[in-house]
Amino acid sequence: MAYDKPIPSQGIHTQPFWAGTKEGKLMLPRCEDCNRVHWYPRLICPHCHSKNLEWIEGSGEGRIHTYAVQHLAFGPWQKETPYVTAYIDLNEGDRMLTVLKGVDPLKPEEIKIGAKVKVEFEEANEDTFIPFWRVIEE
Amino acid sequence: MPGKLFKSAAIVGAAEADEIGFLKQPKTSLQLHIEAISNVCEQTGIPISAIEGVFSTGWSSEICEHLDLKPKYIDTTAVGGCSFEMHVHHAMAAIHSGIIDIALVTHGENGFSANKIGGRGAGNYSTGGPSSPSLEMTKAYGLGGAPSNYAHAMVRHMHRYGTTREDYAHIAKVTRDWATLNPRAAMYSKEKHPFGGPITVEQVEDSRLIAWPLTILHCCMVADHGGAVIVASPKVAARLKTKPVWIAGAGESMGHSNMLEMDDFTATSAARSAEAAYTMAGMGPADMEMALLYDSFTITAAITAEMLGLAPKGEGHMLWKDGRAAPGGSFPINTNGGGLSFNHSGMYGMPLLIEAYRQLSGTAEDGINGDKGKQTSAKTCIVNGTGGTLSTTGTLVLVADD
Ligand SMILES: [Zn+2]
Repeated sequence: MAYDKPIPSQGIHTQPFWAGTKEGKLMLPRCEDCNRVHWYPRLICPHCHSKNLEWIEGSGEGRIHTYAVQHLAFGPWQKETPYVTAYIDLNEGDRMLTVLKGVDPLKPEEIKIGAKVKVEFEEANEDTFIPFWRVIEE
Repeated sequence: MPGKLFKSAAIVGAAEADEIGFLKQPKTSLQLHIEAISNVCEQTGIPISAIEGVFSTGWSSEICEHLDLKPKYIDTTAVGGCSFEMHVHHAMAAIHSGIIDIALVTHGENGFSANKIGGRGAGNYSTGGPSSPSLEMTKAYGLGGAPSNYAHAMVRHMHRYGTTREDYAHIAKVTRDWATLNPRAAMYSKEKHPFGGPITVEQVEDSRLIAWPLTILHCCMVADHGGAVIVASPKVAARLKTKPVWIAGAGESMGHSNMLEMDDFTATSAARSAEAAYTMAGMGPADMEMALLYDSFTITAAITAEMLGLAPKGEGHMLWKDGRAAPGGSFPINTNGGGLSFNHSGMYGMPLLIEAYRQLSGTAEDGINGDKGKQTSAKTCIVNGTGGTLSTTGTLVLVADD
């Protein structure tokens, strides 16, 4: 079935990220001066304000920072309720938002903050592969 | 004779984006902002991190977030092309009053490039993509209304401090108790609204799930509201027939614009905005006799109480649970019935101000229907508004006239 949920419109300086997703890579922006990874991608390092930024291939692994179960949603997400949204602490540092796979939305107490997750990519259209995260181990 | 603000501030640097004109490679408004900011900071030798106030048309919070700034003064006056002259005026006032020393006035508008990539204007971040990398990286994930975001903070607070949803349910119950003393409150009584009148903790727990763990009674309503207040000089105040309520302290700050950038899901910038307000007032949490806290959700009120120093971290909910915040309690909170049970139209900052004025001017007794009313004996009140997704905060310390 065709992907029918909201698809992000892509930016200019974020192109290396979207290119990576097509190859199953999680590309992350890193500052060449302070060596810290940040997310979302900036035009300037939010930590030291250097403009020397590079892209690195991330491990695609992280842990759940916090989560919630959406019972009320809008648009195409309505038919998916209930589903679990989560913020993921990346192994490389900083955080991503996701809809979490591999969990039971009706048993929210069983989802563990700190659980290991791995990224996977879903094809939304030929230009857009959206990263989602799946629990791989508690 | 010169006015009070004469030479009280100066423009100390001015720069443009790297490229201006009809750009061959289109750029976003945000890019033009960041280039200009970077250039003026290089010119003056003032590091970006030293900027204390940000003035721009529209989304100053997104610019601050992009730069990871935690400003003390945020201005988004957007009244057309003359806005930037006004920003200088506002910055001068902020500097004169001692709130900040370094203000950034910034502009970025891709009037030409927008023909190719969209996103014209400094505040048009709603489309995501080129104009807003934070939205670009979050819009795929099914978050909609405020509850869908705030629920994540409650879960993290429970994880960190061992609090339970039932702890927060007491906030909804006690706030409803206040509403039953306020005939203006939407949830005043069963007669006024089918779901109005007193509620129990069990009812809060058992109500419909919106975004687990938030049930609907943990969430504020969305109703209609209009309000206004007048701020005047002491000279004017002295000749009015109404009682003044004095602004002893004021402060503001922000943590993030998009919840993705919330460093600590159990804390807000109210810690900083309150510190500024307390310092200005020469007072502290122990001097406060009541509080009006933005309660978009029960968790918002609990975290805010902790940030303002009214309760230890992780114990904000205890103010309600042990009855201190309740009618007749030693530390009344949200005496109008709050956004949870009085009224919340989308932005609840104005009702906070109105109730604070009424309480401290002795006019909070609604006195209709023969109710005993909600007037307290408090002479000091801390007011805290929270905006966005636990993003931005403004704090006031108000005191009654002696
Ligand atoms: Zn850096």
